[in-house]
Order: sequence, then C-alpha cells, then structure tokens
Amino acid sequence: MNTNDEDDVGVVFRKTTGHYTVHSRGRKLDCSLSSLIHKQLIFPTADPTSLRHAVQEVRELDHVDPVAIGDRVRYVEAGDGRGVIVDVLPRDSKLSRPAPVPGQRVFEQVIVSNADLVLPIFAVANPTPKWGLLDRYLVSAEAAEIPALIVINKLDLAWKNPSFDEEIEIYRRIGYPVLLVSAATGEGIEELKGALQGKQSVMVGKSGVGKTSLLNAIQPGLGLRVKAVSQGELGKGRHTTTHLEMFALEFGGALVDTPGIREFGLWDVAADELAYLFPEMADYVGRCKFGLSCHHDQEPGCAVRKAVMAEAISPYRYQSYMNLRREL
Amino acid sequence: MRARAATFGDFKCAHCHVIVSSAHLLSGVNNRNHCPYCLWSCHLDLYAAGDRLSACKGPMKPIGLTMKTGRNKYQRSARGELMLIHECSECKTLSINRIAADDDAETVMAVFEESLALGHQMYLQCQEHGIAMLKLEDTKFVRAQLYGHRPEIPMLSWK
Repeated sequence: MNTNDEDDVGVVFRKTTGHYTVHSRGRKLDCSLSSLIHKQLIFPTADPTSLRHAVQEVRELDHVDPVAIGDRVRYVEAGDGRGVIVDVLPRDSKLSRPAPVPGQRVFEQVIVSNADLVLPIFAVANPTPKWGLLDRYLVSAEAAEIPALIVINKLDLAWKNPSFDEEIEIYRRIGYPVLLVSAATGEGIEELKGALQGKQSVMVGKSGVGKTSLLNAIQPGLGLRVKAVSQGELGKGRHTTTHLEMFALEFGGALVDTPGIREFGLWDVAADELAYLFPEMADYVGRCKFGLSCHHDQEPGCAVRKAVMAEAISPYRYQSYMNLRREL
Repeated sequence: MRARAATFGDFKCAHCHVIVSSAHLLSGVNNRNHCPYCLWSCHLDLYAAGDRLSACKGPMKPIGLTMKTGRNKYQRSARGELMLIHECSECKTLSINRIAADDDAETVMAVFEESLALGHQMYLQCQEHGIAMLKLEDTKFVRAQLYGHRPEIPMLSWK
C-alpha cells in the first residue's frame, strides 16, 4: 500500500452509491469510503497529538454523505485502480441543501464543494421558468458566497414566452449577470465557454431545462444522454441525469452536471439573515424603527416594504423572500 | 406574468379579530379577500386578484358598492354583479372585490348607506379608477341583489 500523504490527494469527480471516482495525477481511481470518515474521534485534549492517543468517545457525524463532488480528498491506494478515501480536506466553499432522512432529523447534503461559480440553468419555455426556484438558487449561492451566472437556455423557443424579457430584466437590474444561450442552435455557447474557463462551476436547475444538452454543446464528444421533455400538459423533464458528475473542460476548468432538482431547501440560513441574501434588499435592512429585528412583513413603516412599493425592489422578489422566510 | 400564488389559508381579521375560513364551500369565491362580518380587507393583491404581490398589507376599509358586468349572459341581474369597493387606509389604493356568499347582507347594506354620505370628491376619485360607485337611485337594485325580488310585506300592527 502507498501511504504517502503528500502525493495521495485527488479531487472527487463522480459519485454513485458507495463509489467515488477520484482524479489524481492524471489517473482515475475507483474509491470507497473508509469507515473512519463517518466518525469523529474524541480525544482527552483538544490536540490529539499532544498526549497519548486514547480515544474517549466516537461520534457519528451529521451528514448524508461526507464526500461531495469537487472535494479534495486524501486516499490510500489499494492497487488495481482502486483506493480508499480516508480524509476530506477543508473546503473553500460548499453548496448545500437539507436532505430529510425518513425517521431522523434533517441532514446537510453538500451538492458540490470548492465551486467558483454557480450556474442556475432555466429554459425560456418548455418547461416554463419558475422564478421562485431561481431565487432559491441565488439565495443559496449568496449564502455560500459563490458568484452566480444565470443561464437561460432554449433561446430558440423565445416566441413561446412573450413575458420572458420583462421577467429576466428584474435580475439584470439587481446586478446578476444573465447569459442567453441555445444548446440547439449554438447561440451564446462561446460566451458561456468564456465564463467557465479556468473555474470549477456547477449547473443547477430543474429537470428538462437542458443542463446536459448545454454540457454536450460546450464540449462536443462527451455524448451524454439527453431526452426531450415529456409532451403532456405538464411539459416536465424526464430526469435523464440521475447522478452527480464533474467533467474536466478541454479549455480549462471543470463543470458539474447535477440531476434536475425540483425542490431546493435552504441550509444553514437564519431567518434574520435572509434579507441580506437578497442584494437589492440589503441596503434597506435596519432602516426602520424595528431595526434588525424587522421581519419586513407587517411592521408599520418597514423600509423594505416601502422600497417594494416605490418599485425599487421587485414585488416578485419580495414574494420569494416571504415564501422562503416562512420555511425558515 | 408569473403564475398566481395559491390562496392563503384561514386568517384572523385584523379589524374585528374574528377567525375567517377561506373554504370555497363557505364563501363561493376562489380568493377570500375580506372578512364576511365587518367586510374589511387587507391590501395583499397588486396586479390581479389573488396574486398576493402587494407589500403594502395595510387595512382596507369598505367604502361603497359598485357593479361589474360579467360575461355570463344567464346571470341574475342584467345590470351586473354587486361588488364591494375597498380603500387602503395606508396607500389609498382602491380596489373592487366580489361579495362572498357568506358576507353579512346587513353590513353590506350599511356600507352602501354610509357611502351615500361620502362627498363628491370620493365619487370622482372612484371614477378616475374606472369604478362607478352606486348612488341613492340604485337603492332598489342593491336591495334586490342582497335580499332578492320579494314583494313588500306589510308591517303587522297590534290593532
């Protein structure tokens, strides 16, 4: 066994149940998880190296899966292209959501770690954009302090959604960058490549918006499986992608393709901090007589509500804020 | 525009503090927007009924009645449906709302009678918003809408 700590560090590119594909020094390793990684060993002192190594207690860690796509991990090579992940190195950033486990409390599910850019992907039409879901993604990205680039796919179907321009303008006014693309016609793909270059990015969006089609358009040859959205009244996606995977990009950087996520809860966001995660609201927080304890709901004279009525804040964004606040 | 938000559930009237059910079976309307007892409302809608996009949330006072001609050619009255006019106490926005099946008819009548005492300025203000407030000459129509077309019953006397 090779246990050289300096060298045996890789990045998790793919995971399926119990199996992790780790890229390290140009090689791909199929790794499993050491049982130690699920546990936290409690020693008699804060520094376990200072005294004898007598473990006082073993605690199970609170997460659904301790390893996320994008994690830098330390592994022990077991030969034959296999290995065991023994440690997860500290993360620069993480995009998380709550994952309810039946019969237990809610755990943190890290969708991707060490990401430099979040790409909420929506379609102009088919399926119709759910802007409330975009607000959730943006709030999650703000909470994780990861910049976001809104990507609107299926530009070739713009004729199906006449109110689209007016709706997306709300986000442009706030200051979020918006990129209009079409995986079918290739429009905007070069600009998207430019935005992705040299970064570790993650695509999030509901099923059927064309995340995988975009990936195929960005890097032809990946040949990932895509399907048309269902033709019924619902026009919903078919959940073609069923696992998380990160792809190394030829022009530099990496991109994570995620399965369509219809529900996206907020993790580790306090109700009182929520308004700060809406950039256009942040300037108005604490500017009424209720100060920082204002909920921006029924309080008379609330500065945020006044700003909504003065059209400085979009009423749709304010409604998203209220919906998210009710969940927290 | 965006899809309409789902109707909120039961609520406590901010004016008379009665718990109000939003059940369609009771009110006969999809978006319960005022208390059936005191008829006060809350400024919740912005662009369309039920969108719940307004950030004002001020109390809305019932100030009068109007009528709205519907598209239903079989409707009870050829003149249209009786509607309540609400005015927001905070931002002075005017809106018209359908009368629900369980609204107190006496209170609706009282609102109409009080509206007759409003100044001409309020009538003009309603007109600017495209709302024709009902006047004294509409009393018969309002009574017929609220209590039905029934013959006058003579008052019984002890003699």
